[in-house]
Amino acid sequence: MSDALLASPFFGLTLTAAAWCFGCWVQKKTGFLLCNPLLIAVALIIAALSVFHIPYQSYAVGGDFIKLMLSPVTAVLALNIYNQRTILKEHFLPVLAGCLVGSLTSVASILALCKAFHVDEALTASLMPKSVTTAIAMGIAESHGGVAGIAAAAVMVAGITGAVFAPLFAKVFHITEPVAEGLAIGACSHALGTTRAIEIGQVQGAMSSIAICVCGIITSVLALFL
Amino acid sequence: MNIMAELAIIFGVCLLSEGIAALIPVAFPASVIALLLLGLLLFAKILKPEHIQRLSGFLVANMAFFFLPSCVGVMEHAPIILGQLAPFLLISFLTTPLIYLVTGWSVQWLIRRARGKGAGKHV
Repeated sequence: MSDALLASPFFGLTLTAAAWCFGCWVQKKTGFLLCNPLLIAVALIIAALSVFHIPYQSYAVGGDFIKLMLSPVTAVLALNIYNQRTILKEHFLPVLAGCLVGSLTSVASILALCKAFHVDEALTASLMPKSVTTAIAMGIAESHGGVAGIAAAAVMVAGITGAVFAPLFAKVFHITEPVAEGLAIGACSHALGTTRAIEIGQVQGAMSSIAICVCGIITSVLALFL
Repeated sequence: MNIMAELAIIFGVCLLSEGIAALIPVAFPASVIALLLLGLLLFAKILKPEHIQRLSGFLVANMAFFFLPSCVGVMEHAPIILGQLAPFLLISFLTTPLIYLVTGWSVQWLIRRARGKGAGKHV
């Protein structure tokens, strides 16, 4: 029977939904920054699969259904941007400049650190696009001789860091303008950070969504010259 | 608007974007094309916010949930990453606040400068 259960897409779907609810519950109970629902749920699912020796492929049967929804979820961010169009028009130049500066900082700092730590070329190419959304990052990494899987992992680490610490960053760095806060979140932690930006505020969410697009495009173009 | 009609619109946009992604010569993700396309339809007033509002609201409110399987997928690459764990974690983790700081600070500076000019010289 356990084989039948593991072969069913409902295994991955149930585990994901249950882990997510648990993560949200812990966050609500503790209110502690590191008790981020995403972080807890990911840790819980990986732990469950490892402890019971369940192969990732069994989880993916159901997990892939949820993954499929990433495209619609990203697409509807357009409505957030549209709803904030007056603010976008007002701050058009800072938005573009911010995304350009953010993308440049990202690529330059990663290349510099890789050089400092004598990281080999394949890993450097995989880490280089880590601030942009998964699909773009994987494409860039592969075209530069990196490993798409490592790029995806680095994207997730950056995304979770942004999603968890975004409010702390704003406080420590004294970023009080909602437009600046949103763009900064999107530039350093793409769509995953945007999930948090939306919780912080409507302007922050919309600006973070814009940064996903603009930084993705800029980084793709930058990568052509490297 | 009927929720199924909203679903048809959003799925249709995603489908069209996959077609566009296949046509363009450079590798560019269909999801970002879908965002741009849906934005274009909204700004061109071909679509009204009411046409996609309910479904968008639900998806955006639960956005992080949809990233869970991708995050779990990282465990597939554990052997390669564990081999170079220190630089991997250090670089992925450290550059994030740096990019936040530089982006946030420059945008804030530009906005405040523009506001200062608009408000007159006594700022």
